[in-house]
Amino acid sequence: MVITPVHYIVAPLIAAFAIPLLTKIHKDAARIVPGIVLFYNVVISFFLMNHIAEHGMISETLAGWEAPWGINLVVTPFTGFLATMVSILGFIIWLYGYRFKRTLKGGEVKFYEILQMMMIAGSIGIIITGDIFNMFVFIEIVGISAFSLTAFYRSRDGAEAGFKYLLIGGFASAFLLLGILIIYTQTGTLNMAQIAERMPEVPQQMKIIALVFFLVALGIEAEMFPLNGWAPDAYSQAPSPTSATFAAVVSVAGVYALIRVVFTMFDVEGVNNYLMVMGFVTMLIAEIAAISQKNLKRMLAYSSIGQVGLILISFGIGSNLAVFGALFLMLNHSVIKSLLFMAGSYFIYNTDDKRITALNGIHKKLPIVSFFFALGSLAIIGFPPFSGFWSKFYILISAANEKYIFLIIGILLVTIIELTYYLRVVGRIYFAKEEEGEPASHRPSINALVAMSSLALFIIVIGVYPDLIMPHIQNAADALLDKTNYIQQILSVKN
Amino acid sequence: MLKKLIVFLLIATLGYTLAVTLSSIPIGKNRIGSIENPETVAAYYLDKSPNDLKVANTITAVVVNFRGFDTLGEVSVLFLAATGLASILYRKEEEEEEENIRHISHRLNLPSSSLVQTGAKILFPLIIVLGIYVFIHGHLTPGGGFQGGAIIATGFLLMLVSYKGFETNHKVMVWLESLAGLGFVGVGVFGLVKYGSFLQNTGWTGNLNDLISGGLIPLIYIFVGIKVATELTNILDILLNIKPRKK
Repeated sequence: MVITPVHYIVAPLIAAFAIPLLTKIHKDAARIVPGIVLFYNVVISFFLMNHIAEHGMISETLAGWEAPWGINLVVTPFTGFLATMVSILGFIIWLYGYRFKRTLKGGEVKFYEILQMMMIAGSIGIIITGDIFNMFVFIEIVGISAFSLTAFYRSRDGAEAGFKYLLIGGFASAFLLLGILIIYTQTGTLNMAQIAERMPEVPQQMKIIALVFFLVALGIEAEMFPLNGWAPDAYSQAPSPTSATFAAVVSVAGVYALIRVVFTMFDVEGVNNYLMVMGFVTMLIAEIAAISQKNLKRMLAYSSIGQVGLILISFGIGSNLAVFGALFLMLNHSVIKSLLFMAGSYFIYNTDDKRITALNGIHKKLPIVSFFFALGSLAIIGFPPFSGFWSKFYILISAANEKYIFLIIGILLVTIIELTYYLRVVGRIYFAKEEEGEPASHRPSINALVAMSSLALFIIVIGVYPDLIMPHIQNAADALLDKTNYIQQILSVKN
Repeated sequence: MLKKLIVFLLIATLGYTLAVTLSSIPIGKNRIGSIENPETVAAYYLDKSPNDLKVANTITAVVVNFRGFDTLGEVSVLFLAATGLASILYRKEEEEEEENIRHISHRLNLPSSSLVQTGAKILFPLIIVLGIYVFIHGHLTPGGGFQGGAIIATGFLLMLVSYKGFETNHKVMVWLESLAGLGFVGVGVFGLVKYGSFLQNTGWTGNLNDLISGGLIPLIYIFVGIKVATELTNILDILLNIKPRKK
């Protein structure tokens, strides 16, 4: 095997350390190099997915020490699926943002591109690592990049959002570290598979305290209520490609970390119900908050939190079909919400403020972007010909199978709420009376159009032929739920 | 009042539960287990680092080799923190001119006493030498790359505080920083190419307690030391040069 999972991390790190030197040779290096690296990550993903389809899961040892002694990187159908998704979206977001940041000066571009690239690389790291402390390190990498990017525009609101995110992110790190500490005192290891193996011997009380620390820390990363106060501010103040990254990449990594800890490491009864209830509350509150938003990006941010709530509900149901639905929804949410942020940011770019009321009749100025936004809105609500329909459909079926009637009612109710606030915006774009006749000053560039069309194409193609992607998601769901196989495969080689 | 009481009771209950449970952790007891049948990772590390890696300081062996990937991550966290700080505190060009004038006047207002200046001048090279000593001997004595780098940065901090006009050479800093980072990753890639495992140490490890021993571990710690020193100095430089914002 030529390409190994460690390339995911090493290539961006080399680029990040080298970019300050490369910009001295060519001034556009800071823009181009991250693109090459992120494209290489896509290549790695396809190579590794092919490899595990033929030879089974990969557990790569680092520094030459086998799994429990050293750090290992694990690519199963589950982590491979998420890593592939994150790396493809990372590349598309780079493509979108390539000329978007044209107005920035040299030094600023360099910082922006390094932070953006490392945020995506760190998210992939969270997904593929098999070691709980290593996961903490990657969460730090993602966190530090995310705080800086939130405050990147140096506005007053941006600084406030960044500081809020920094404070709550600091709490998350401290709690996570405490949780890891308690687990280490009980099991004497940091390898997730070995922790899972030794977990039954840990006293129940200790287990619950550690789990609470993990749930609080990772709940902050996964935007779970009531720990998501940072999210709307951060989403709306960050540069738009970064907002798309928060929705498509960072929240996926956060949910992954939460699910990995709850499903694989711990064996506590009733935590599934907890996820379900918290997911339900998260979804309900976020969607209700989204209705009253006047700022477009804040509305999209609350909608993202609502989607994460639905994902958590679905993981909480816990049956194979529900996990399948949750993973499908994660994929859909990443793709559709990136498209919405990408299209939405062109609206904001062309109007004076971020308010929804400024969008009246904007489809005449920006026909293509308006079309993409409308497509994304319909897809995320779950209209049938689009991919968003299938994930919601499977989640509803799984809830019905397990006879959670209140969940079905809640999800359908929330769909009506989503319908209200998305169609309100789409209605303004298409049917409200135009205010002024000035042509749009910032038309989307070619690369942004390519990025948005590829996402739109995905939404339509998967909507019509869901069978293209469903076997992969099914494998991923099976791999997540098969905990004993995960433990055995990683710990099989002991020296 | 009632609200405060409820909050107090809640915190007291929570604290009691935590205290009772966490006090059952036997801190300070020897729970490492035997070397022959390592129950915990600690036993394995204590056995392997002097015998296989020939590193006298087990902590260094853990930090740089067993968990070297984490250290690479932490080094990049520091790098990203410096980058993020620079990205938030950068100055737009139009703000530059007026602020330069203000900066100079600000500088002239507060010269430090000649006692401090002379003391700093004498201490600076000694601090740098101590820092370099600490990271070069990381595999033999307590300390290592992070500690040595931090010591060097305090030397620069002393100079920055004592001499208002003291400026670090940015070009050299950028080169050192990037090359040290690339060096660390390069050592990792060397292991990947030669032995098939990222960051794997070489088979040639020398004798225990020699200055040149432990294979690639001292080399990595030198890179970490340089990286941390330049990174922290950059952060100090950025923070000390924040200008008051234009109205």
